[in-house]
Amino acid sequence: MEDDLPTEYDVVVVGTGMTESIVAAAASRIGKKVLHLDSNEYYGGLWATFNFDGLQKWIEDLKAAKSDGKKDTIIKVEAGENFLNASNQYSAVENIEETWFISNDADLPVLTSKDTQTDGSGDGASAEGSEKSDEDKVEKKEPVKQWSIDRIKKEYRRFNIDLAPKLLFARGELVELLISSNIARYAEFRAVSRVATFMDGKLTQVPCSRADVFANKTVSVIEKRMLMQLLTSCMEQGADSPEFDGFRDKTFLEYLNTKNLTPIVKHYVMQAIAMATDKTSCRDGVNRTKHFLNSLGRYGNTPFLWPMYGSGELPQCFCRLCAVFGGVYCLKRQLDGVIVCEDKCRAIITGKQRLALEHLVVGQGHVPPEIVASVGEQQISRGIFITDRSIMQGEKENLTLLYYPPEKNGQEPVTVIELGPSTNACPQGLFMVHMTCKRINTAKDDLEYVVKKFLRAEVLEPKGPRDSTDSHTQTVSPDKRHIQEGDAETRDLIKNPKPQVLWSLYLNLPASDIKLSNSAPSNIHLCSGPDLDLDFDFAVNQAKEVFAAMYPDEDFLPRAPDPEEIVLEGEEAPGPKFEGDKPGEGEDKQEGEEKQDSEKAEKEE
Amino acid sequence: MAKTYDYLFKLLLIGDSGVGKTSILFRFSEDAYNSTFISTIGIDFKIRNIELDGKKIKLQIWDTAGQERFRTITTAYYRGAMGIMLVYDVTNEKSFENLKNWIRNIEENASSDVERMILGNKCELTEKRQVYKERGEQLAVEYGIKFMETSAKSSINVEEAFYTLARDIKAKMEKKLKEASNPPKGGGHQLKSSEPQRKPPSWITRCSIL
Repeated sequence: MEDDLPTEYDVVVVGTGMTESIVAAAASRIGKKVLHLDSNEYYGGLWATFNFDGLQKWIEDLKAAKSDGKKDTIIKVEAGENFLNASNQYSAVENIEETWFISNDADLPVLTSKDTQTDGSGDGASAEGSEKSDEDKVEKKEPVKQWSIDRIKKEYRRFNIDLAPKLLFARGELVELLISSNIARYAEFRAVSRVATFMDGKLTQVPCSRADVFANKTVSVIEKRMLMQLLTSCMEQGADSPEFDGFRDKTFLEYLNTKNLTPIVKHYVMQAIAMATDKTSCRDGVNRTKHFLNSLGRYGNTPFLWPMYGSGELPQCFCRLCAVFGGVYCLKRQLDGVIVCEDKCRAIITGKQRLALEHLVVGQGHVPPEIVASVGEQQISRGIFITDRSIMQGEKENLTLLYYPPEKNGQEPVTVIELGPSTNACPQGLFMVHMTCKRINTAKDDLEYVVKKFLRAEVLEPKGPRDSTDSHTQTVSPDKRHIQEGDAETRDLIKNPKPQVLWSLYLNLPASDIKLSNSAPSNIHLCSGPDLDLDFDFAVNQAKEVFAAMYPDEDFLPRAPDPEEIVLEGEEAPGPKFEGDKPGEGEDKQEGEEKQDSEKAEKEE
Repeated sequence: MAKTYDYLFKLLLIGDSGVGKTSILFRFSEDAYNSTFISTIGIDFKIRNIELDGKKIKLQIWDTAGQERFRTITTAYYRGAMGIMLVYDVTNEKSFENLKNWIRNIEENASSDVERMILGNKCELTEKRQVYKERGEQLAVEYGIKFMETSAKSSINVEEAFYTLARDIKAKMEKKLKEASNPPKGGGHQLKSSEPQRKPPSWITRCSIL
């Protein structure tokens, strides 16, 4: 490393995962001197989002790191001190399996636009609309370019692939924190446009907004009333209300069974709103229902938001704030070990440097094994798929959340998130599907039943393109819409083939239940990796706990001033000041907000 | 309420530590110079409104927050940037050589059609100069981008540089708008504390899940 780091800090943070980054920002925000390190050349650790090339490198590094073995560093310490080696962050990623289902350019037949037209209309399986809409397309169509391995690799920058994809509840911990700390200005979001559920052998959109409900014909008026009553109990009374007294030790399903609900209503509540299995406790079910309902109506059609460019952007937003307030950042810099004296961590060793500190905040992959009590049993199974169309075709591009409960014993419920090009997850014409569940066996085994259900994961023969009409666009011509109206969706589902998988990746990641031993120095604070929950609540709450343990009397991430509010007057203003410091500043700000609002309004149109 | 500007441009400053990025930012946004900013604490971005051909343009200029020091700029920094000022110090050979790395970094992380411009700062320090103007010009030609020598301290060319970059972005944008019959695809939303008053008064209307 060419540059030497300053050698004394209030807080050293190792790893740029979500929890670590929030803690770093919070410490820096109250004026603490923070150093934030990561051994990788990217931000986020196991929370990272990569482009296609970056992901390939990550996989290679992982394999290399495993065969590398562990090199223990020998460090000179002073009397009374102990040196503990840091652990290998990658040791816990397992069962990586990457598969291509398409060919290289060289193996593809040469297609002209004329050829593909003929092929397209001859291919019954992919005929996606009336002849009229096919004709519309033909006129506009460019020569069809099939997706090949080469093409995906060439367009690597247009992919943003999440290791730990997470959604944000519109009133979840992270959204509230982003707003209250003013860190929201570093990120952009898209609302999840539909929550899907699998019912009666097909995927259905769960109506969340009033308009959706109005249009919904599958639920009768009586059922609506039934559901309303149930939701009232959950919302207004909460899990502690007498309503649920008899169900303290029972499951949510058992509670619902006493309510005389019709199967449809029960299905919506269980699978779409509470995302519960038949083992979910009544308390959890009620709380989840409440959380879901609470987050409705704030942004968009569903209670969920997705971060543009992937979940890996979010830790970086906190890092940016930390840096803005003076935090020092250094990537590609690894923690070699920690120096412990009595029950305190005195310093860390990184490269040839010894850096003194008051507090060490460390991501779970780097903790010295000597101070870990239990590594934790829980693991995550992940599947990532690039596909050629949506699991549930719609008239516009959708961002879809699907909760799929186990079909039989020995399976875990799977969370499916499908992203389209407008989130920058993938180029036009493709979709990115993320599946996540608790690990039982290997990721591939655990997810197989869901993959089979919704995707076509078989190698695509280079000859005779299955689908040469440009069906990714998913456009349904307006005339067609008029004619079919009500059951258009149903017919679509039956007619439309499953999305073809072009590429897949399976892997198992550690979940976040690692614990420090009681003998661990009290100024070492552990941060977990990604957890199984949908939202970031776990990381936010853990960060708050860590911060409170370090600085119990300080504010946690108070609102950072807007740039318009900052006035610098020579040397006496090393830090930002708040609005009101300068006359006339208020006006400017108003102007800014007004502008943002109008911009927002435009986007919503 | 009417919008107070016609365009909003997000601009970035990129380059090695100590080349004067923050000074350039302050010269342009506040017409001030202070040799005592050691690093860039608390500064996210600065705003200046300018007018070009009768259009009001709001320039939002982002500083690196010191994350360039160990080459650790977040990828998030580059999102949505429409123009980038690549800054080196004419009295520091290394900062000039590193421009190529920064350009690579931009190509990797920024949008492919971002407007770029190279600035050789501290041109008032004639006696300490290590990088001749011709070399800066040549590099700029190589990459097909514009070049200027500036001095934040003596207020040379800073205005001109930002106006030039803004003009190029504006031209590109208007050309795009003309070509595309449909408006450009919207990006994501930012979360606001002053959230839209869409929240219905009672929960009943809100939990209309059926």
